[in-house]
Amino acid sequence: MKREEIKQRFSGLQGTGAKRKVGFLELRHTSVRHSSLMLQDGRADRMGAGHRSGLGVRVLLNGAWGFASTESPEKADWASALDDAIEMARVSTTRLDEPVVLADSPAVTDEVSTPFQIDPTTVPIERKLAAVRGYEEASGRVAGNSVANLMTGYNDAHQFEIVCNSRGTLVSTESVRAILWHAITTQNGSVRQRGREVRAKQAGFELVEETPAEEFSVRAARRAVSLLNAPPAPAGTFPAVFHPSIAGLLVHEALGHNIEADHVLAGQSILEGKLGTKIAADCITVVDDSTIPGSWGSYRYDSEGVPGGRRLIVEAGVLKGFLHSLETAGKTRVEPNGSARADGFSHRPIVRMSNTMILPGKSSLQQLIADIDLGILLGAGQWGYVWCEKGQYTCHAGEGVMIRKGELAEQVRDVSISGMVLETLASALGASSDFELEMPGNCGKNGQSMPVNGGGPYIKVSDVVVGGQA
Amino acid sequence: MSERDTHVGQELPAFVAEGASATSAEWAAPALLKAAEIACEAAIAAGAEHADAFAERGHELSVSVEKNAISSTDARTRSSVSVRAFVAGATGWWSASTVTEAIAREAGRQAADLAKAAEPDPDFVSLVSPEPYPVVDRLFDPAIAALGVKEVASWVTRNIDSALSVAPDAVVSGESGTRWWEAALANSLGVRAVHRMTSASVSAQVVIRQNGDVGSFYEWDSARNLADLVPDEIGATAAREAMKYLKSRVANTATLPVVFGPLAGRSLLMGLCAAASAEDVQRRRSFLVGRKGEVVASERVTLVDDPLVPGGLYSGAFDGDGFPHRPMTLVDRGVLQTYLHSNYTARKSGEANTGHATRAGISPTNVRPALGEKTAAELIGEVEDGVYVVLGQPSPDTASGQISALVDAGFRIRKGELAYPLKNTMVAGHALEVMKAIDAISSDYREEPGLIMPTVRVSAMRVASGE
Repeated sequence: MKREEIKQRFSGLQGTGAKRKVGFLELRHTSVRHSSLMLQDGRADRMGAGHRSGLGVRVLLNGAWGFASTESPEKADWASALDDAIEMARVSTTRLDEPVVLADSPAVTDEVSTPFQIDPTTVPIERKLAAVRGYEEASGRVAGNSVANLMTGYNDAHQFEIVCNSRGTLVSTESVRAILWHAITTQNGSVRQRGREVRAKQAGFELVEETPAEEFSVRAARRAVSLLNAPPAPAGTFPAVFHPSIAGLLVHEALGHNIEADHVLAGQSILEGKLGTKIAADCITVVDDSTIPGSWGSYRYDSEGVPGGRRLIVEAGVLKGFLHSLETAGKTRVEPNGSARADGFSHRPIVRMSNTMILPGKSSLQQLIADIDLGILLGAGQWGYVWCEKGQYTCHAGEGVMIRKGELAEQVRDVSISGMVLETLASALGASSDFELEMPGNCGKNGQSMPVNGGGPYIKVSDVVVGGQA
Repeated sequence: MSERDTHVGQELPAFVAEGASATSAEWAAPALLKAAEIACEAAIAAGAEHADAFAERGHELSVSVEKNAISSTDARTRSSVSVRAFVAGATGWWSASTVTEAIAREAGRQAADLAKAAEPDPDFVSLVSPEPYPVVDRLFDPAIAALGVKEVASWVTRNIDSALSVAPDAVVSGESGTRWWEAALANSLGVRAVHRMTSASVSAQVVIRQNGDVGSFYEWDSARNLADLVPDEIGATAAREAMKYLKSRVANTATLPVVFGPLAGRSLLMGLCAAASAEDVQRRRSFLVGRKGEVVASERVTLVDDPLVPGGLYSGAFDGDGFPHRPMTLVDRGVLQTYLHSNYTARKSGEANTGHATRAGISPTNVRPALGEKTAAELIGEVEDGVYVVLGQPSPDTASGQISALVDAGFRIRKGELAYPLKNTMVAGHALEVMKAIDAISSDYREEPGLIMPTVRVSAMRVASGE
C-alpha cells in the first residue's frame, strides 16, 4: 500500500476518532520486507524472505488505554480496528487507578530515513552467499578438526513505519537493518563448546563489507577451540572484571530494565523513589542514547512520534533520570524523552531502552586487575535477565579468564554470574578507558522483541557470584 | 479420521479476506486450506519439486494490569501464510501476514525461486505422505472463542482483589487473555490437515515491600478449555508466596542436595528433551550425540511425550510437517529411547519419524514424567542441608550440557524444613551428571492441561551464593 493512501486513510480515521470523542488517537502502520540466508556445514540449503504489514490503533478514552491491530489492508477492517480499540478502552476504564494524562509534546511532521549505502535488495543472492561462505570457511580453517558444526547467517529487513496521532504528529520512518551471525560448535571427546558472534547495524549490505572475518567468525572459532581445553569455572564469590560486552549486558539487564519508567510506576523497579540519590559507585555513569548513527538500537523517532535522544541515567553514581513514554512522562511531570517503542504494528508502544552504556573511565585493563589476588575476567556476554523488583540478575558469559596475583591466568568455560543490582553497582571499583558498544541483540519485554545495543568499558567489581562447577 | 481435525473433501468457501470476518470464530479453516493448496500449486508451477504451505488466522484479547489497575486492554487479529518449496532438497521459504489468493500464489512463486537459488541438499528425501490423523479432543472450546473482553478483564481484576485480601500492601501486575486460531497445512504429496484451537490464561506477579525488604512471586494458569481454567486464586496464591520471600538471605558455596519444585523441575527435564532434538544431534551440537540407547539419567527418570492428551496445552493431531502425532517414551528408566525427529531428520537418519516438527524446528509436546513413591514434602523432609528451587531456569546449554542457573525463587533446606528464602544463589552442574544424580521424583505434582510436573530431587549440585 502506498504511503499517501495510508496517510489519507489515517486522516479519515482521525476524523472518526474526533467524532467519537476519543481523547487521543494514535495510528501506526508498519510494513517490513525481510530476507535471510543460512549456511550450515558448508551448504546454503535454506533461503527465506517475506513481508509483514498491518495497522495498530491505540486510543485513550476517559483516561484509559485501548489497543487493536489488524494485518488486513482492507479499509473496512481498519475502521473495525478503531471500533475495537475504543471498546477495549471502555473495558480498561472498569478498573482504572487514575486517568492517564499524557505529557505535552509538540506535533511533529517529518519523513526520515536511516542512511545506508548498499540497498540489500539490489545485492544478488550469489554475492551475499559468497560473503557468508567466506566467514564460514575462515572459521572452519581456524577450528580445523575440532569443528562439530558451523552455522553462518545473514538477514536484512527494510521497514517503513508511519505514526500519526490526534495531536497532529505525522512521522514516516524508513529503516534498513542487517545482521550477520556465526555460531560454531567445537568438540574434543565428550566436551562441546560454542563460539558465537553477532554483528548487527542499521545499515545495508555494507555491514558485510565492513566486517572482516578476523574480527567476526574467526574470533568465535578461536574462542570455541580454546574453551575445549579450559576447565569449568569455579563456584563462589570473586572479585571480577567485566569485559565491555558483559558490562553492556549488565547495564542493560541489571540497571536498564529498572530505569524504564513504566516499571518504576508499576512498583516493579528497585529504583522507585531513588531519583537524585546515589545508587552506584563514582566510576559509574550511564547513558541511553538512541542517536548513535548506525547502531542497532538507534532511532530518530520512537513509536509515539517523539524524537529520541541521549538520556543521562546515572552520573557519577547518582540516579539522574528514567526512560519515558508520553504516559510516564505525564504521570511524573517530566519532559518525554522518546523511549516508547513498539514491536511492529501488533503491539502498543511501551518504554524501552535503545543503546545503553556505561561511559568509559580512565584506568587501563592492567590497572584494574593489578591488585586482584584471585578473581575472574568475564568475557563474551551472551544473555541475561533480571527480576526488577528485587534487583536480582543473572548474566551468562561465553568465557572467563582467572586472575591470579594481578595477572591474567588460565581460561575457564561455562561461566554464569548472579548479583543484586544495587550491590554490584555500589561495589564497582573502576572503569577502563577502553570502550566498546558491541552487544546488539533483541530485548524481550511484555511479549515484545526490540533491537537494542549495550556496551561499556572494562568494569571492576569487588565481588560477584560465579555459578561454576569447580 | 476425525471431522473435528480434518476437513478433507469438504466444499471450500471463499477466502478469509473475502468471506468471514477477521474477528469471527466461524469455521473458516477450509478457506485457509484452499489458500495453502494454491500456494503449493504455485510453487510447483514455478519449478519446485515439492512444496508445503501453512496458513492460519486467529484473534487474541489481553488485559494488562499494573499496580492494581488495568493499564491497557488489547485486541489483535493474527493471520499468515508461509510456504516451503524444495528443489533438489534445497529449501526456499516465503511468508506473508495477509492471506489472500494473490498472496498465496506469490508466496508459492517466491519460495520456489528461493529454493532454486539455494544449494541442493542430498539428505532431503521427500515430504510427508498423507496418513490418517488421530482424534484429539477438547482443543477448541467455543466458550473461550465467544468470551467477551469484559469477562476476560474480570479474571485479572478479581485477582487484584484476591491478592489484596491476602496482603493489603500487595502491588499486583499481570495479564489475562484468550486466543483462538485455526490453521491449515497442505503439501504437494496430498497432505491436507486443519485444526482450530483455543487458549485462555491468567497471570499475576505480586510484590510486597515491608520495612525496606521485598518479596515477590509469579503465578499463572493456562488452559485450552474454560472448564480447565481456575482463574480466581492466582492473585491470592502469588501474594501468599510473595510474603514467604521477605527476609531472604544468601547461602554458602558448597555441594548440596537440590530439590527442584514442579516448575523448576519441569525446566530441568525439558532441557534434556530439548537436547534430544535430532536436528541438533545430527548437526553434532547436542550433548546427547551418540547417547541414544544409553543411560542419560537415573533409573527414576521416565519421560513420556504425549501430544494426544485431550485439551493438553501442547496437544494436536499433527506436527508442523503434517505428520500424525502419537505418544512415545523418550526416556525409559534413565535410558534415552529416541531422538525427537521431524520428517527431514527421520529420513536423513533412517529412523522412525516421531512427529516433533514445528514450522521452525523441533520441539517436545506434553512431557509427562513417571511419578515416584514419596510426596514432595517427604523429599524435602529427607534433606539435612540443601536448596529448594521454586522458580528458576535450570535447563542446560544444549551443546555443552552445562547447567548454571540463578535460583529465581527458592529456600535453604535445614533438617528437612524450608529454613529461609534465598537470594543471589546459583546452582550448577553438567546435565548428564545432574540427571544421573536424580534420586527421587515425587508422587504428587502440579498439573496443567496435558502436563504433569512433579518435584525432582538431585542428590548433589554445586551451589554458589553471595556470602
